[in-house]
Amino acid sequence: MKRHRTIIPDLTRRRLLGAGAATLGLAGLARPGLAQTQDVALQLSWLHSVQFGGSYIAQDRGYWAEQGLDVALLPGGPNAPVEPPVVAGTALVGISAADYTAAAVEQGAPFRIIGVAMQKNPFAIASLPANPVEVPKDLEGKRIGMALANMPVLEALCTLNDVALSEIEVVPTQYDAAPLLAGQVDCLLCWATDLPVAMAMEDIEAVTMLMADHGYALHSQTYIATEESLAERRDELVALMRGEVAGWTDYAEDPDAAARLTVRMFPDAGLDLATQVMQAERQVPLMFSSLTDEHGFGWFTPDTVAANIETLALLGRDVGPELWDRSILEELHGA
Amino acid sequence: MTAPATRRVARPAVPVVRVGPLAWRVLGVVGLLLAWEALARLNAGSYVLAGPVAVAIHGVEHAGLLGRALRATLVNAAWGFLWGNLAAIGLAAVILLVPRLERLLVALALLVFCLPLVATGPILRVAYGPGDGPQIVLAALAVYYTTLLALLVGLRAVPRSWLDLVESYGRGAGAQLLHVRAMAALPYLAAGLQIAAPAAILGAMVGEFTGAERGLGVLTIRATRALDVDATWTIALLAAGMAMAAYWAFGALLRRVASDPPALLLAPPGPALRRGRRRGAAGAAVMILVALALWQGGMDALGLNSYFAKRPGDVLTFLVTGPEAASHRATLLAAYAETLAYTLPGYLAGLALGAGLACAITLAPGLAAVAMPVAVALRSVPIVTTAPLLVLALGRGSVGTITIVAVMIFFPTLVACLQGLRQAPGDVIDIFASYATGRWRTLVLARVPAMLPAFFAAARMGVPAAILAVTTAEWLATGRGIGSLMALTASTSDYNMLWSAITLVALTAALAHTLVARIERAVLRVYGPEQLAR
Repeated sequence: MKRHRTIIPDLTRRRLLGAGAATLGLAGLARPGLAQTQDVALQLSWLHSVQFGGSYIAQDRGYWAEQGLDVALLPGGPNAPVEPPVVAGTALVGISAADYTAAAVEQGAPFRIIGVAMQKNPFAIASLPANPVEVPKDLEGKRIGMALANMPVLEALCTLNDVALSEIEVVPTQYDAAPLLAGQVDCLLCWATDLPVAMAMEDIEAVTMLMADHGYALHSQTYIATEESLAERRDELVALMRGEVAGWTDYAEDPDAAARLTVRMFPDAGLDLATQVMQAERQVPLMFSSLTDEHGFGWFTPDTVAANIETLALLGRDVGPELWDRSILEELHGA
Repeated sequence: MTAPATRRVARPAVPVVRVGPLAWRVLGVVGLLLAWEALARLNAGSYVLAGPVAVAIHGVEHAGLLGRALRATLVNAAWGFLWGNLAAIGLAAVILLVPRLERLLVALALLVFCLPLVATGPILRVAYGPGDGPQIVLAALAVYYTTLLALLVGLRAVPRSWLDLVESYGRGAGAQLLHVRAMAALPYLAAGLQIAAPAAILGAMVGEFTGAERGLGVLTIRATRALDVDATWTIALLAAGMAMAAYWAFGALLRRVASDPPALLLAPPGPALRRGRRRGAAGAAVMILVALALWQGGMDALGLNSYFAKRPGDVLTFLVTGPEAASHRATLLAAYAETLAYTLPGYLAGLALGAGLACAITLAPGLAAVAMPVAVALRSVPIVTTAPLLVLALGRGSVGTITIVAVMIFFPTLVACLQGLRQAPGDVIDIFASYATGRWRTLVLARVPAMLPAFFAAARMGVPAAILAVTTAEWLATGRGIGSLMALTASTSDYNMLWSAITLVALTAALAHTLVARIERAVLRVYGPEQLAR
């Protein structure tokens, strides 16, 4: 068993290096004089998909390599730990969300949020046009399919919008649009960028009500690092985030290219190009705003943090503004 | 008419599917395919079922992708299969050389085997980092216990006189092991490997859920979320096909190494029960202490961070001595009660169905032609792909979950009971035949009592299987009970609750196993006292 433990990360790294060298092309070859490359890992929160398109661009266009950083992108999954590898040091940075990060901190994990990829939370209520949920009040009298684990999210939405939770029938479902299409529920609690896209691919245009448009202010796809890394591995953090910012800035200009790159980079992930293109376009308004236009990708302000703290309080998470640390972004954006 | 019919079944042939003539089997398969296609067409638009035609088209169109995924999963499953079985062989050898350790080691092996996949997966991922480590370890964990049990029976299935012969040459236990026991155990090992092969594939797929780059498990997740029913079913069938192929391949191996394959599941209920009650309690205490020491020591040795790798003391504080222990207990026990309410009916239904169908096949051997392939297929389709489909088809209420548990229990029970029914002594059957006793009476009076030891062996093995089934279904499909609680706590960093749930599930498995063994002993004292003497 021991042997595997040592062999496999090697293989992974070599494979990534190989993929990197192949895709970097000339840009990758033409970087002489780098004394050494630092190996770090970025723990993604889900399986490879265009959800992390900006990171793939950073790798593909050498934004990390030119700083002497070799970043392994670790996929997540339905049973994948995201926060523990960051605590354990396997990953330098993890992609979490403000609520998960707050929960982890409550349990003693020394995290700080150092950047925010999704300014608007992607949670949405998806329904069918014949029986739509367009505003929160429409939820009353409806059957909603969701994981019971997300009850606090629904409760928060109801509190924010004076909706009677007792009027909603919650049906526990797996994360899948089939129960909605089979008529087992009237609406689903899901991400605006996945199940509605899957339905659109089947020519079913769902009505999606973005919860962020109804007071649910919660940073998602947040970059987290430990206090220890912030103190001792600052250069690597800055280099990693610089690559992320550059990659995502390119992404905003051409989401289609990001989708094509994703499908090309991960031929074994079973990705469908049309689906990835649509997902890439739909997540743009969640990630880029006048705030990021002005200050750059990943930015947050005391105001957005305060709004997050209020939503977190509704979710039963008691955190203060010190959970967010903007020093890395400030160094990058020269604020 | 009665005698030839029964005699045909009484033949000691293990390849049960050969019972029916070939024509029956072909007809059965064609009929099933037609029914499946019809069902799929009737349910078109519900995104639940894809028919054989759609599956075939999807398979051909995505042959390259599916082939690469299949290879990734199979390679990991094969490594896990190898390591798991080597571990089982090592454990069996230790037990044979130091018999006093048997009770402890087998109990610990059971405990580890019962650890829920939803909980062990993320921990292995943290311990191994990126790569194939968790897939391989989960595959190994899925196979080692059944192989160990098979070996323990096999290594003892040796005539005393052979061992005496070795001793008379002045050779010790090592020589006995090498020259006599290992040879005698070969057929049992092959039989154990046959059961283990499909399990390794399931383990590898679950391992992929912890963050893998490729594999059938990865494609399953993608397909379910993308409403790609054709892909979901193609992957499920591919995985099932591989599992069945492995099952049959080791079955063929088994027939080569053993002219008269062993009645594997006729393992006696273990040495634990032959002890007095007081010594039993002391043994249990030792077992718990060793398990706790391994838990604490293992985590310390691996240097796992206490943020997610909780130690026994943390769980004690969380559940008993801490300030909010009462509310923690309430949450845990509520989920636990919900889980038990699904597990028990499913477990009992699976046992009843397996035993019932075995009896039905004995009465009407033609049934085997249709029933056996369906039974093997049901059992081989990895539960990670079937659980969401079954729940979607049967609803989110209790029926779906109970069915999943029953399906997992049903097939091993059927196989064991068919073997058991054939154990009825030939002369007893002849006496019944000579009095022109009907098939039904022969079954009830002669065969069923002979079946009981095998039935109970299946009931014991069904305990971990039921726990695996229910926690997986709750995690992936219904979102209720302790399986869902474990998934939730892992995502919200509530690792104290996660480890509390793991402890509770493992303890339940051990207790349920003991309880079944007790019932077994009470029943066998009446119907099969020869099983208890050794």
